[in-house]
Amino acid sequence: MLKMTHLSKAYRTEVVETYALRDFSIHVRPGEFVAVTGPSGSGKTTFLTIAGLLEEFTGGEYQLDGADVRGLNDNQRSRLRNEKIGFIFQAFNLIPDLNVFDNVDVPLRYRGFNGAERRRRIQKSLERVGLSARSKHYPAELSGGQQQRVAIARALAGEPRLLLADEPTGNLDTQMARGVMELLEELHRDGATIVMVTHDPELAIRAQREVHIVDGQVVDLVAQPRLVRSGSQAQI
Amino acid sequence: MFAYYFSLAVRSLKRNVVLTVLMIVAIGVGIGASMTTLTVFRAMGSDPIPGKSAELFAVQIDNWGPDSSGSTNGKQDRLQNQLSYRDAMNLMQAHPAKAQSAMYASSLALTPANPDLQAFRVHVRAPYTDFFAMFEVPFLYGAPWSSADDAAHAEVVVLTRALNDKLFSGANSVGKSITLDGHDYRVVGVMNDWEPIPKFYDLNDEKFSKGADIYVPFTRAVERHMAIEGNLNCKDNSESGWEGRLRSECVWVQFWAELPTAAAAADYRRFLQNYAAQQQASGRFHWPPRTSIKNVREWLAYEDVVSDEFRILVLVSFSFLFVCLLNAMGLMLAKTMGRARDIGVRRALGADRSAIFAQCLIESGVIGLAGAVVGLLLTGLGLLGLRTMLSRDIANLTHLDVIDVVIVIVLAVSTTLLAGLYPTWRATHIQPAWQLKAQ
Amino acid sequence: MQILPILSAMRRNKVGAVLIALQIAVTLAILCNGLFIVQQRLALSHRPSGMVETDLFAIDNEWIGDPTDVSSRIRADLAALRALPGVVDAANTDQYPLTNSGWSEGIDLKADQQTRSAFMSLYMGDEHLIDTLGLRLVAGRNFEPSEILDRGSTDRVQPATIIVTRALADKLFPDGSALGRSIYVEGGKQPTQIVGIVERLQTPWTGTGGWQEKYFEFSVIEPYQFVDTGSWYLVRTKPGQLAAVMQSASKRLLELDRNRLLQKIEPVTDTRVSAYRDDRGLAVILAVVCAALVGVTACGIVGLTSYWVSQRRRQIGIRRALGATRGAILRYFQTENLLIATAGALVGIGLAIAVNLWMVTSFAMPRLSPVWAVLGALLVLVLGQLAVLWPALRAASVPPALATRSA
Repeated sequence: MLKMTHLSKAYRTEVVETYALRDFSIHVRPGEFVAVTGPSGSGKTTFLTIAGLLEEFTGGEYQLDGADVRGLNDNQRSRLRNEKIGFIFQAFNLIPDLNVFDNVDVPLRYRGFNGAERRRRIQKSLERVGLSARSKHYPAELSGGQQQRVAIARALAGEPRLLLADEPTGNLDTQMARGVMELLEELHRDGATIVMVTHDPELAIRAQREVHIVDGQVVDLVAQPRLVRSGSQAQI
Repeated sequence: MFAYYFSLAVRSLKRNVVLTVLMIVAIGVGIGASMTTLTVFRAMGSDPIPGKSAELFAVQIDNWGPDSSGSTNGKQDRLQNQLSYRDAMNLMQAHPAKAQSAMYASSLALTPANPDLQAFRVHVRAPYTDFFAMFEVPFLYGAPWSSADDAAHAEVVVLTRALNDKLFSGANSVGKSITLDGHDYRVVGVMNDWEPIPKFYDLNDEKFSKGADIYVPFTRAVERHMAIEGNLNCKDNSESGWEGRLRSECVWVQFWAELPTAAAAADYRRFLQNYAAQQQASGRFHWPPRTSIKNVREWLAYEDVVSDEFRILVLVSFSFLFVCLLNAMGLMLAKTMGRARDIGVRRALGADRSAIFAQCLIESGVIGLAGAVVGLLLTGLGLLGLRTMLSRDIANLTHLDVIDVVIVIVLAVSTTLLAGLYPTWRATHIQPAWQLKAQ
Repeated sequence: MQILPILSAMRRNKVGAVLIALQIAVTLAILCNGLFIVQQRLALSHRPSGMVETDLFAIDNEWIGDPTDVSSRIRADLAALRALPGVVDAANTDQYPLTNSGWSEGIDLKADQQTRSAFMSLYMGDEHLIDTLGLRLVAGRNFEPSEILDRGSTDRVQPATIIVTRALADKLFPDGSALGRSIYVEGGKQPTQIVGIVERLQTPWTGTGGWQEKYFEFSVIEPYQFVDTGSWYLVRTKPGQLAAVMQSASKRLLELDRNRLLQKIEPVTDTRVSAYRDDRGLAVILAVVCAALVGVTACGIVGLTSYWVSQRRRQIGIRRALGATRGAILRYFQTENLLIATAGALVGIGLAIAVNLWMVTSFAMPRLSPVWAVLGALLVLVLGQLAVLWPALRAASVPPALATRSA
């Protein structure tokens, strides 16, 4: 699904050249739930933006769903993002001017679906995250956890191949965080491929496997079978 | 997608009321100011007789010669803008054009039939009969007088509708009699409303005011020594008395000819030069023949119908529009960059540059439309203001027609789109990664 | 205050700064020229005519039909008018100032000249005209009753004596010897002697540009009773009696002879208002536009600066946390605005002068003195500082606690 080989990303200022990522390789197979961890400044956010085709990389190779993304122009990358990737951000990044329904609608508009198809998908996504009752509400009227779930619904609406999550629970309290994580685990069980960037080891544990980055390079790969927790649903 | 962007734009504008109002007001005020002056400017420069303006020609003859000083005409070619009586009569007699008319303006006292009513002044135009056909003057009752009437110096008149309303309550007054300056005249026709703006056929004095109230044959007017209104320009000392004036080289007669084709115009030019050459040969002119014919548009340009004051006003108002657009651009930039995060999110979700471009452009368009509405209202107010502050002359020009309204809308939307171009460009170049990283 | 750091911080908002500077520049250019024109037009409309315009009114008298004895009728009218209670004096003439309608002729210093020495406008009147109009005779004498002859509009005659304005006298005889000298008027061969000089009497025209302004004060009074189908009666009343006399005068004249048209009876003060209506109108319009321009630019400054403040809230909080006072933050934004406004004002001064030069050539306008431009620039700078006050105060009230928040 997501395969990076010897990827490097350099930032050049007038004086100095810094590498956010250096000889970075990662292979995420379809259906995997991978946590990418590392201290602040390790490059995990850079990894995510490159993985999400939001940034270009300097060297190496990146294949997304079997296709090489090097040399794609801006329009092609936008298209790929739209069709294959679902984003979940730490700050939710819902558009405050739009209600829940219209927020989930945004990526579908750029897909070119007709009205009926969009409505079907939005309803399906909102049901999946348990927020169909709130479709007319505005983000300002929702709790943090609810906003994040709307963001997840938005990410799911296009039926992407890959979910990229950047500190999905970073702005949530423990209870809400638990609820969101349980939702992610559910999605994983249903077959989603998830790559989650986090600095919280407790969250990293809940993934299938963990990739640790320090100073732009993978430090150690810890692969262990994980027990998927089941049990009480937290109130979100 | 257009409907989507349109509803997004409306929603976004509704949520930022203050900013939106500022932008719309900035554009509306700029459009209002510039359209107010543009409307009047267009009216000033418009073709007063479209469809025929290329076939009607004002005639000029140099009957003063090159060493004549004291011309208050001030034109580059130093030709007088009117003819002398002598030349006018010679041309009328030779009759080389399809239709032609010498004419001048006068004023008379009209004594109403009712002895209790006060006599009042009427403005008179004294043309030949061809005037009415040439200028396609519409008639309500009756018809113009005939060329026989011209020849016979007949005591006939054509009334304007307004005067007919005043004297005869709008009834068919053909055959009735009115008293001008103590003499009786028979009404042969009543004109329907006819107010070409500018008053191209006689641009002395007020160029945009209403024309005469009553029309009298030229020959009759001259016979009655009806006083010359408008401009009377004499070269040097002429003889005394009315007869002396008729013999002199004083210019006071306007002269128009109808020349329907280019060939006719060329023929007429040749004829005029020949005529002037004859005058030289006979000793009346001591200089080579110099003549000119100008069609309506050329004549209006030559006579410089648009005043300097007005040109200045137009320039000032468009500069004002420019400042308002700069203002709007700044506000749109602030709005766009203030929403950089949302734009970044959309890009991350799959919008390409052209989608962002379209969205921002349509938002500019919506602002432009709203600005057009405000601008239209302000233009109406502005025209009202002009009407009260400037002389009556200009009041005839302060009306909004359909074309003006279309221009307002097109101007508002296009200039707003232009002003929004840079903010839109900035929006399309927002790096989604930057926006989303910056926590 | 450190200017360089402010300048380098501005680089991030280059376009916004340029927009404000440009608005200020164009506003200044229009303001200077616009207010200059306003001042010009108002000055124009206040030019003294030479007449004492209060307590003076004009009657537009026109005879109906073609009476043969117009001369005696006019004399009878004048006698009647002068005898009315409340009337100081009355005169009959062919034209009067501020009507934009009149008679102009040439003047030569010698007979048989090819080109004219000067042009003048020709007032005709008897010995009462000067007192009626309230003119000031500064040299020589008024006409004697015996000098006054009749003259119609088509008569080509030249007077034996003439009264001229001081401006015309100085133009023809710069050495000041005009009184008593002879000139040739209206292309005639007979000399005319200057017997009197009045301080000032403008020609009837009030327009700008060209010969109207050039010959503005070149008028003459010829000793004629203007005997024609239509003429003006001018009547000077005792103070406060204008309205009453206007009534009684028209009544009296109609009593004397019904066969006339009194189309217009108007106080000369009204004539002035009509004459300069367009100039006043232009002045008002330009003043309004200039005010609106200043308003729009001020709003632009407020809007854009508020946006910058909101963008930099975190930075401001950090500065405050590091010890900057409220006043320091205020000064920061005021200095930033001053820098932008100064750049705009400098460009604006250049633009103002360039625009003026273009108008001098295109519209024959007088030149704008750079003093105006500099004064305008100062005004604009002050206004800019006032406009930025509100957003700058908002910035100064950003709490230092903002620095600690990560969001």
